[in-house]
Amino acid sequence: MSLIADEIIQFSSVLRMAYNLLTGRNYLKRKKFREKEKLVAVTLPFSDLAFAAGTIPVFPIRMHQFEISQYLTYLGSASSIFGWNTVSNFLGFIRNLGINEISKIVDDIIEDVIDVINKKYNEMYDIGIENGISSDFCYGLKSLVGMHVTKGSNVDACLNVTIRCSAYNKYLESLKAINKGPKQIWVDIPPRNIGNAIELLTNNVSNAIKEFENLTGKTITDNQIRDHFKIGNQVKRAYKNIIYEISASDFYPCNPATFSEIMALLSISFQDYNSNAPRYRDNIMALEREMRERIRKGIGMDVADRPRIFVTPMFGGWEPKSHEIIYELGGRALYADWELLRMLEEIPTSSHSNPAEEYARFLMNATETGIGCDNDKLTDSYLRMARDLNADGLIFFQLFGCHSISNCYTMLREKVRRELEIPTTAITFNKIGENVEQVKTRLGAFMEMFR
Amino acid sequence: MDDLSLLSDLSLFLKEKKANGVKIVAYLAHDNIPEELLDAAGFFPLRMMFGGNDDLMDASHNFLPPSTCAFAQSCIGLYSTKPNIFSFLDLVDFFIVSNHCVSDICVSEIISKHFNIPRLDFYVPYTKNNSSLKYFKLELLELKKRLEAITGTEITNEKLFESINKYNEFKRVLLKVNELEILGSEKLKVLQRAMLYGPEFQPDLEKFIQYVRENPSSLLETSKDILFTGCSIFVNDNLVDLIEEGGGNIIFFDTWIGSHYSSQIINDSSIQTEKDPLDLLVLKFKDNIYGDHTVPNFLEQKVALIENYYQKYTKTKGRKLGVINHIIKFCDHISLLSSFLKERLQEKGISVLNLERDYSRANSGQLLTRIEAYLEMME
Ligand code: SF4
Ligand code: SF4
Repeated sequence: MSLIADEIIQFSSVLRMAYNLLTGRNYLKRKKFREKEKLVAVTLPFSDLAFAAGTIPVFPIRMHQFEISQYLTYLGSASSIFGWNTVSNFLGFIRNLGINEISKIVDDIIEDVIDVINKKYNEMYDIGIENGISSDFCYGLKSLVGMHVTKGSNVDACLNVTIRCSAYNKYLESLKAINKGPKQIWVDIPPRNIGNAIELLTNNVSNAIKEFENLTGKTITDNQIRDHFKIGNQVKRAYKNIIYEISASDFYPCNPATFSEIMALLSISFQDYNSNAPRYRDNIMALEREMRERIRKGIGMDVADRPRIFVTPMFGGWEPKSHEIIYELGGRALYADWELLRMLEEIPTSSHSNPAEEYARFLMNATETGIGCDNDKLTDSYLRMARDLNADGLIFFQLFGCHSISNCYTMLREKVRRELEIPTTAITFNKIGENVEQVKTRLGAFMEMFR
Repeated sequence: MDDLSLLSDLSLFLKEKKANGVKIVAYLAHDNIPEELLDAAGFFPLRMMFGGNDDLMDASHNFLPPSTCAFAQSCIGLYSTKPNIFSFLDLVDFFIVSNHCVSDICVSEIISKHFNIPRLDFYVPYTKNNSSLKYFKLELLELKKRLEAITGTEITNEKLFESINKYNEFKRVLLKVNELEILGSEKLKVLQRAMLYGPEFQPDLEKFIQYVRENPSSLLETSKDILFTGCSIFVNDNLVDLIEEGGGNIIFFDTWIGSHYSSQIINDSSIQTEKDPLDLLVLKFKDNIYGDHTVPNFLEQKVALIENYYQKYTKTKGRKLGVINHIIKFCDHISLLSSFLKERLQEKGISVLNLERDYSRANSGQLLTRIEAYLEMME
């Protein structure tokens, strides 16, 4: 891990994001109790309406207390006095002196960020099962149930956006059975874009906005919504640039395992922007800048000879050791789930546009051309993404209990062979850390193909 | 009237249909497919309502991971192995790809793609708000257009009204079957046959009801009465026999095959006043409040339905009533809410057995033990 830790410390933006992700509990408590803001539970990257309404979206796991090292807490406090850049430079400087104690501490930070989150995910998974969700469901849903059982009563509302996955939609329905208190705000996305489906979805979005107004007691203006979309667009632009212009390039600003680690962090935090959109926007834009700056200075790693392995899907649960294993085997793991699902499309914000309608178009586009209403469409999305990333291989995480996305693998394999002619393999996944040895073996065999 | 004879009769029936130039449209046996529209277009709607076994499930694994629901697996297995008794599946002209659940989409898509059956899309919204109802109508219009393009004939309002009335009448008769005091297995066989044949079976159904009324059978006083909810018992599945072997008797089928289907009757006053028959189908969708596809109130509605039936039954009959919630392993809808359903009903003093299983024969013994234990507990 030290290699990864060593690299990641160079990006102060990553430290900030990690810090904000892990210390969400205090931030959210302050927002809820001191500032009397409304907390809204969100899942998948559907936080826009909650932000636009002036509420605080939260991916529920972030309401938990994470066991973060005192060192990271110290970093957080130091940063509020000296600023993050100074802290980061300072750490980098000490690290370069080769002081072992410090590098150990640096390792701890990364453990805080990735391992601690994963440990918490696994804890939520167990709680989910203990509280009645059958172990037959996917990792993501079991963990989500655990999150709502443990922390769901703290939120004022849940924003429930239907997708094509029936298990997910039923999980959304179960939220009011888990916690009676929170208001349930629904946005039902029509399965297909036929007839005036956009108009109907616009009505659903408008109704959700009204529900938010009822929740906060405040009117939500179009400008307010556009303002949030503008921030969201900046986030998405930076995210896309990182995916296409950096992760698909041949020179990385750090080693590929670190790079994947950062992409994993983005993937998790993109769901609720760490509950603060402007702050997240600033961080992700700074991240892009920092990366470009390092590349410009030639700091980083030439990865031209490393095959690009597109690893997907990861958002419902995946083995986070994969990228490190792939790195050790001579490859580089690329993560781009949200782009694949068309969640990184920008939303038009011109003053004559109707923001509810624009959001409806965005959701419909993601449904139609991202996740797709059937596997034919969904597999096309994987193909498109693999092509756009110029991937040399595709690793598909087949989640136990996922009947929506995992079920497309047979079709995907055929299409990849026929249309892309790159190697592909499926790795079954149930729980983080459960089958690392098997993952290693599978990845080992897979990476042999590139030797 | 065992399953084998039902299937061979069905085979002959479908062959005859084909010989008369009728096209067959198959779909997974759930909910919300507008069979009236198919009928009005001159097609025969065929529900895939066949249970599975180990071989059928295994045969699906080239297409889907084993953590797919056993029913979905078996539907694919039927197509990929095509056992003799199911050769009538070769007669299917179109397959409807619908989203009752996501496995429904996957299976229908795979069947259409790999077994070369042209697909017809029909997607159903998840909620029942005004926009969703309007969306449902869009889907109806799309399907209607597609059917008309296939046949080259317009589906007139008159024809559609006629089909709606026909199905309405059929369901009214079917409802009576659920109320008959006969052995659950016998009732199920009649329901299955009726739902496979559709309204053409109505005269036989009426004769059957008449016969039962004239020759009431005496049910065993010692058997335990069961309300059966959750996933259906499909053709060729011996679960009902296991329940009877264990000492139970299903007196009410609250499943896709059963009252869930037959209770979806469009009221006469709407039929008389509505100008556009498609709006009647929208109304049927709207009123289908017990459908498991829908969010967010399925659980509440289901609890209310079972509680009402339970109260009425125990009061009028003076007998205990157990509830078996049948969960086909990996069923998204029924499984995810099963623990909540059980909890809610138990809070109301109604004991529930959440019976989860796949179609593997090896499980029979274990299933029987669980059923027996539950029935014993009812004493
Ligand atoms: S799509 Fe798969 S991974 Fe995602 S919620 Fe549904 S079952 Fe889980
Ligand atoms: S998951 Fe449930 S609803 Fe879906 S096909 Fe299987 S049994 Fe039917």
